[in-house]
Amino acid sequence: MDDPLVIAGRELRSRLITGTGKYGSPEAMRDAVIASGCELVTVAVGRIDLDHVDEAITDYLPEGVSLLPNTAGSASAEEAVRIARLARAGGLPDWIKLEVIPDPRYLLPDPVGTLEAAERLVDEGFTVLPYVLPDPVLQKRLESVGCAAVMPLASPIGSGRGLKLRHAIEIMVEQAEVPVIVDAGLGAPSHAAECLELGADAVLVNTAIARADDPAAMAHAFRLAVEAGRAARLAGLIEERETAEPSSPLGGLAARS
Amino acid sequence: MSGEGVAVTVTVNGREQATGPGETVESLLEHLGLGAQFALVERNGEPVERARYGETRLEDGDRLVVARPVAGG
Repeated sequence: MDDPLVIAGRELRSRLITGTGKYGSPEAMRDAVIASGCELVTVAVGRIDLDHVDEAITDYLPEGVSLLPNTAGSASAEEAVRIARLARAGGLPDWIKLEVIPDPRYLLPDPVGTLEAAERLVDEGFTVLPYVLPDPVLQKRLESVGCAAVMPLASPIGSGRGLKLRHAIEIMVEQAEVPVIVDAGLGAPSHAAECLELGADAVLVNTAIARADDPAAMAHAFRLAVEAGRAARLAGLIEERETAEPSSPLGGLAARS
Repeated sequence: MSGEGVAVTVTVNGREQATGPGETVESLLEHLGLGAQFALVERNGEPVERARYGETRLEDGDRLVVARPVAGG
C-alpha cells in the first residue's frame, strides 16, 4: 500500500475518518460514507429505547468499514471507561475514541480526565485515540501512556470554523510519535486540506458532511481535499516570503535603460 | 430463594421488567424484541461479555442497561 496511514500497526488507505451523527437519514449517512472512501467511522454508544426500537445505524454501514466507538456522553474518566468496557464486552472493536467532555457549551475535553482514562484503558488492552485540545505537552503524556494516536480539535465541535489553533497543531505534528488526527471544527474541504498540508496524518469530519445540502457530494469533496492535502505535504510546500519573486522574466522586450 | 417458579423482577434501562425463572441475558433480549439487535449489556454496573449472554442468569433486582451503537461523531 502506497503511503498508508498506520495506527497501532493497522494500515488504512484513507486519511479521512467520518462520523455518523447528524445526518437527515441513515440512507444519507450510508451514501456519504461510501462517497468519502473512509474505512473507519465513529459511532457512539446509547441506550436502546425499549418503546421504539428502530433500525440500527450499523445496518446501514457499507461492507469493509470498521467501527470506531466513542465515549460520547462521558463527563468523567469513570464514565468513559465504563462505556469503553461495555462496547468491547458487547463485541465492538477494542479501538476507542476517548472523549471526556464536561462542558456542554464549547464541548471542550477535560485533559486531566482524558489522561486518566487513557492510562486505564491502555492498561486494559484498548487501542486508545483520545480527543484533546491541541496541547503539545498533553500529547507527550498521552503518547507516554501508550495511546495509538492523538486527536486534537481544530475548533469547537460542529462550529465549522476551521483550524483556529493551527500553531499548536503544528507543534504537535513536529514532535509526534503517533499519528495526529485533527478532529472537530472543520467546516470546509479546504480546512481538511490545510490540516494534511501542515502534516496532520488524518482528519475526522462529521458535521460539515452530514449537514451539507448534499452530504454524499460533500463527502466526496472532503475525500479529494484530504488526498490533495496529503499529496501536497509529500510534494514539499514552498516557504512563504514577504516579497514577490517573479515567475516570468521582468525585462520583457522593452528596454529599460 | 431464587428457585423454580419464583418470579424475577429486573430493571432494564430504568424500567421494571418481570421475567420468568431461569431467564438469561440472551432470553431477556429475545423477550424484549431485541434478538436481532447488536445489543450491549451491562448488569449491575459490569459489562457482560457477548459470549456469556446465554449463560448469564438474571437474579431478582438486577439492574440492566441495554445499549447499542448509535449515530455519533
